Amino acid sequence: MLVINCPYCGERDQSEFSNGGEAHVARPENPETLNDKKWSEYVFIRLNPKGIFKERWVHTHGCRKWFNAVRNTSTDEILKTYKINEKPPSVAEFDTTIKTPSGEPDLGSGNFTVKK
Amino acid sequence: MTASNNNKNSCVTDSNKVSFTFDGKKYFGFDGDTIASALLRNNIKIIGRSFKYHRPRGIYTCGIEEPNALVQVLSESNEPNTRATVKKIYSGINVLSQNRWPSLKNDFGYVNNLLSPLFSAGFYYKTFMGPKGFWKNIYEPLIRRTAGLGKPPKEFRSKSIHNHHNVDIVIVGAGLAGLLAASKFIDSEYDVILLEQDNMLGGSLNSSQKIKTIENLETREWLKKIENLIKKSKNIKIFKNTLATSYNQTNHIIALEDNSVGKPLASHKPELILHKIRTKHTILSNGHIERLISFRNNDLPGVMLAGSFEKYIFRYGVIPETEPIIFTNNSSTFSLLKSLIDLGCKPKAYIDVRDESLIDKKTKNILETNKIPFYFSSEVEGCDGSQMLETISIRNKEMQIKKIKGSMLCISGGINPDVHLFTQSKGLIKWDEKYLTFRPETAFQNTITIGSANGNFNFNKIIEEINEKLSLFKLKELKIDLESDCPEDLNIVELWETISEKKSFWSKSFIDIQNDVTTKDLRQAVTEGFDRIEHLKRFTTNSMGTDQGKISSINSLGIVSKILKKNISEVGTTIYRPPYAPLSFSAIAGRSTYEFYDPTRKTSIHSWHVKNRAIFEDVGQWKRPWYFKKNNKENMYEAVQRESKELRNAAGILDGSTLGKIEIKGKDALEFVNLIYTNAFTKMKPMTARYALMLGEDGMIKDDGIVCKINDQHFIVTTTTGGAAKVLSDMEEYAQTEWPHLNVYLNSITEQFSTFNISGPKSRAIMRKVFSNIDFSNEKFPFMSFKKVNYLDTQVRILRASFTGELGYEVYISPKYGLELWEKFFRYGENLGLIPYGTETMHLLRAEKGYIVVGQDTDGTVTPLDLNLNWMIGKNKKDFIGKRSLSRSDTSRKGRKQLVGILAVDKSKIIEEGQHVVEKSSIPAKIKFPIKYLGHITSSYHSPTLNYYVAMAMIEGGNELIGKKFYVTQNKSLENINVEIVKPIFLDPENKRLLS
Repeated sequence: MLVINCPYCGERDQSEFSNGGEAHVARPENPETLNDKKWSEYVFIRLNPKGIFKERWVHTHGCRKWFNAVRNTSTDEILKTYKINEKPPSVAEFDTTIKTPSGEPDLGSGNFTVKK
Repeated sequence: MTASNNNKNSCVTDSNKVSFTFDGKKYFGFDGDTIASALLRNNIKIIGRSFKYHRPRGIYTCGIEEPNALVQVLSESNEPNTRATVKKIYSGINVLSQNRWPSLKNDFGYVNNLLSPLFSAGFYYKTFMGPKGFWKNIYEPLIRRTAGLGKPPKEFRSKSIHNHHNVDIVIVGAGLAGLLAASKFIDSEYDVILLEQDNMLGGSLNSSQKIKTIENLETREWLKKIENLIKKSKNIKIFKNTLATSYNQTNHIIALEDNSVGKPLASHKPELILHKIRTKHTILSNGHIERLISFRNNDLPGVMLAGSFEKYIFRYGVIPETEPIIFTNNSSTFSLLKSLIDLGCKPKAYIDVRDESLIDKKTKNILETNKIPFYFSSEVEGCDGSQMLETISIRNKEMQIKKIKGSMLCISGGINPDVHLFTQSKGLIKWDEKYLTFRPETAFQNTITIGSANGNFNFNKIIEEINEKLSLFKLKELKIDLESDCPEDLNIVELWETISEKKSFWSKSFIDIQNDVTTKDLRQAVTEGFDRIEHLKRFTTNSMGTDQGKISSINSLGIVSKILKKNISEVGTTIYRPPYAPLSFSAIAGRSTYEFYDPTRKTSIHSWHVKNRAIFEDVGQWKRPWYFKKNNKENMYEAVQRESKELRNAAGILDGSTLGKIEIKGKDALEFVNLIYTNAFTKMKPMTARYALMLGEDGMIKDDGIVCKINDQHFIVTTTTGGAAKVLSDMEEYAQTEWPHLNVYLNSITEQFSTFNISGPKSRAIMRKVFSNIDFSNEKFPFMSFKKVNYLDTQVRILRASFTGELGYEVYISPKYGLELWEKFFRYGENLGLIPYGTETMHLLRAEKGYIVVGQDTDGTVTPLDLNLNWMIGKNKKDFIGKRSLSRSDTSRKGRKQLVGILAVDKSKIIEEGQHVVEKSSIPAKIKFPIKYLGHITSSYHSPTLNYYVAMAMIEGGNELIGKKFYVTQNKSLENINVEIVKPIFLDPENKRLLS
């Protein structure tokens, strides 16, 4: 279980939080002006990268505040959390090398030694 | 040829005799004995039958790694698969051997051993393919009866608690390395937890005499001294009988403490404590595990790991056999040789696969001085015996075989650092060519490995290693003298298996003793293409038993690497997954069992419902009256028919307190409500209400409810009972993330109000009696308006709304006065025919009117347009959640499923919910499959007012099919029912009753 640093409450166990998917996907201001493709990109399409990922979390069993977090999806380390109205940190702030626990390559997952 | 006691030098108290029962017979052991050590003391060496072939099996090890000696503890709720090598006995414990019938000696399932050519790897997948239905009804029950381990327990023991800790350091394992590490932390600033799975500290110091003195003290003296020092130090907590089972992300360790070791289960106290420990650094000093060697019949009772044999001598004071034979490929067995000689026992033979040049001087000396027959450059080809080990075949370099008699064979195939927890923490392990094993290489978390867990098998280097590895903590240097008596190095040579020439059904060379996997199975699996270790594991079930192949998994890698002609590091290991050893469900469940599993939410009227024979329905955590039994004879169907009829004739009252209620306040409340719900609220007058829909961004209906407008800055909305929490969360999410500029405050007030729905033609008369000062006339109190009313010293909100299609009112009152008001309704209303009704009647009545239930008639793929609820959409609003999606190509296309009503042509027929509507206008004599189906029945009820079934369905292009005739399939009979598609409203289409 992860430890997540809520920007309002401090470090708490992951079980108090819920994940809200990719962060900084703003709801279009004038949905009516968008064509189907553009609108569906907002509704349905989200990134799922291996490595640095900005995502939203909510402290459901705590202050109920939404906030953003930077997580390395390859190691599951939460590198930073920040309030919803704060400027997103630049990716350059973080070590972007993909450190995978069992040393597997950037793409895919599983037991690398077996696949080799 | 028998066991004897080592009274000189052991950890059990031989003054305290303990009686116990094994397979119905009474035996005696000593206080501190495990079931295994006590049985060995009584010369019992066969303990169970094996998983697949039902071969007799004995005790193979002396600890948690045991594959064979699993027993059922009858006196502890029939707990199965208990390791006899771990479980301590106490007076009165009743133990049964497993997996045998009718008895351990004469086991019927042994026939499986003769049929074994059938039971090779992948046997189940290949053999039981057909005919259809045979697997479920014949093969599986048959296999389940003969294969498998113990019988499931009779009851669930829910006596465990969970403890949480936040510390700086966790030390796993209080053997020599763990204790030395802990001693460095004495009186330091660090918070330390020391975990030890045994009931005493010391680890292998208790189970061998490899170390003679520490700080010039006898090891046992030193252990006492160090334990006292650690205990006195206020910053270190010791947990004995506590096994670290998982090492998760963010240095989170789960350890299970067993408080019932060596005593019967307490009836009222929790015997298990699950410790959830969050730490900053973890020190793994959890030691090593000895591994086996595969040879012909290496599973015979009498074969035991050499280190375990030695542990029985010193840890439990029992010498399992005074004249054992030793077979090894490394120098660790010197210590066993020496211990036996010191105790006056003489091994019958010593067989070492290594060349004489590799064997250390100490071993050679002791063999020669004591005239122990030794065989260098030789191996055990196999062993024989009918129930027990009887003869051992030794093969020398020249391939000559010599047979010797013996009843116990101690084997050592090398030593593995216990890397299980280390790899769970995502640490990388590396193959060590010197010790022929995997050892920790790169830690992924803040993990430090020391001692044999780190692959350091040399006692002389341990102090240096600990000082160096713990240097980051800036603690005082350890300066301790250790005097050990064992060869400096293991000098191990590779030997995973010995090849046997003898071929018979009986002859098997096992790799996974618990799962009955043989080395032949490994070869077959590779031949059949399962050459990846993860595939091979699953195909053969190798290392998939409750012991997870602790003594054999590295051997199987060795054997497979030989077959594949690869290095072991290329073959790789399978993934080590938590838990380290099985832990019971009761430990995981903790206190979340039975009534504590999930909270029960009850309304303020609950006690009245119980008194009035309500049958409850679970809606989320809520208990809602489903229907009220008029008398004990009345069944559900009769009750619902009666309630529905009486409500339409007079009046009924429903406890609607469980409906979600959310208060929305703030300067921008109106704009917020306009964005959240589909309807237009701007022109809505204060103190009126509207039925409203909430969509997702994809345009699908998420929830419905009533929005009450007090003024533009203050709304109260209701949600479905099940949707309350989700709706509030969604509103909060939008308020915080998308529209932070809006000034709105959200508050859940579900439990701040008891809610009653009074409905039926007599409801106005009843309301007038209860609230005599209010004008309930149509003019003064029209449909969908509400009033605040003073009542006693509180305020009541009354809303005119209805979900039944009858004249109806909703009353909101503080729960404090809920029951009082509810009873008042009955005092005034009973003679007007007021009855209580439940959720089932509510569902029936709304179906007669064609009102939907979100989640029953809709399923997350339904837009308001599909339900013909276009009138609820504020088309002139610039935006609301999901608006844009209502004109997506998919939501606006033709042929979407739409809500329609369904009536049977023959109105006496029953229509069942969930059945399919089939596209056929007449039913042919023989149906040709596949047939197209148009949709399914979402709601169906027998209407007592109309006296026939009314149903609703979601049908492809339903609006265009009104008046058409189709068929509806039936669940229980082959008969299909001819139905007509109608508009989804069956009663009072003009809303005369509603607006009366």
